[in-house]
Amino acid sequence: MPGHLGSDYEKLRPDFKVIVDPYSGKDVLLVPAIVPDVALIHALQADAEGNLLLDEKEDDFLLARASRVVVASAEEIVATDTLRRAPYGVRLSGIYVRALVHVPGGAHPTACRGRYGIDEAHIQEYLRLAGSDAAFREYVQRYVFDLKDHAAYLEHVGL
Amino acid sequence: MAAAIAREVRDGETVAVGTLSPVPAAGVLLARARHAPRATVMIINHEDYWPFHEGSKEFYDFAQQGKIDLFFLSGGQIDQFGNLNIIAIGDHDHPAVRLPGGAGSAMLYYLAPRVILFRSDHTSRTFVERVDWVTSPGSSPPGVFRPGGPWKVVTPLAVLAFNRETKRLELESVHPGVSQEQVQTATGFPLVARREGAVTPPPTEQDLAILRGPVRQAVARLYPVFCRSAFLAA
Repeated sequence: MPGHLGSDYEKLRPDFKVIVDPYSGKDVLLVPAIVPDVALIHALQADAEGNLLLDEKEDDFLLARASRVVVASAEEIVATDTLRRAPYGVRLSGIYVRALVHVPGGAHPTACRGRYGIDEAHIQEYLRLAGSDAAFREYVQRYVFDLKDHAAYLEHVGL
Repeated sequence: MAAAIAREVRDGETVAVGTLSPVPAAGVLLARARHAPRATVMIINHEDYWPFHEGSKEFYDFAQQGKIDLFFLSGGQIDQFGNLNIIAIGDHDHPAVRLPGGAGSAMLYYLAPRVILFRSDHTSRTFVERVDWVTSPGSSPPGVFRPGGPWKVVTPLAVLAFNRETKRLELESVHPGVSQEQVQTATGFPLVARREGAVTPPPTEQDLAILRGPVRQAVARLYPVFCRSAFLAA
């Protein structure tokens, strides 16, 4: 990792190591790779083989390849041919994907490119209620336990 | 602030704007509409201004090749040496404020030849004598590979400049209607003026028209909430 030398990361992260780059002869900071056990990813589209279409502007593609297990939800299940002809996005092969669930509206209250934007009011409400354990219980009650299923959630939030 | 940032953009260079940076985005787009039409402008995740197809990794790889000329950073604390703190205020394990973390800032502060720091406030709480934690140092000892570093600081009160000889921030100019004393009171370390009485040139009528028209429209695609409040006050 270029840079970083002389920052407090050297103090705070004993797992970051300084070594001499054998090519340039200069000091360089090494940062261990993050290997998540599970990545949860929402795809723009997916096919029955588990191939995913992801937003190429986001880091989902990198996250999926770094993780031991990928569990994906998808806005839409389409034919493999349709996935290949997608006008934008990056295709992640199904070889990385352990499980796939069809969940329209699954990115709410965040955005799903080309489908729906950020639900600003919902995010504000979440931020307010995430401030304490008691308030967060209220959030979970309202949006998880009090609703029968995902369809009821979508109806409740008006998506 | 956007107009002050725009003046720092040079025609033909590659300028990148990172996350949570609506004011730099406005400044860079103003520069491109005005004096820097051949600048390559990158605004993270903007539909029209983000050329990368592999998330932030591709951008960081590009930056590590030394291909970004001008970048923008901020910090929860900025000190007289240009050190940035984006880690925590106070004790690391029991902080008064937990800041979001550095992401690419330590790397970009080294690699981009000119980095402009910005804050939407200017107080002695932010501009401190010495940061609690150094996410990105303002300067490095000789022998460390470091083509880049701090260049200017743009705030609602003034423009500061980084002196690469003394390795400290200095006062470059105060904004119209702001006194040097006011800036000094709001800054937690002594500020030496580069030139006594220098005032930041205000934006021209044409600048304001560009900012309130096409620039606002482009920035609002990424920062709708910011644009609703910021441009109303203009």
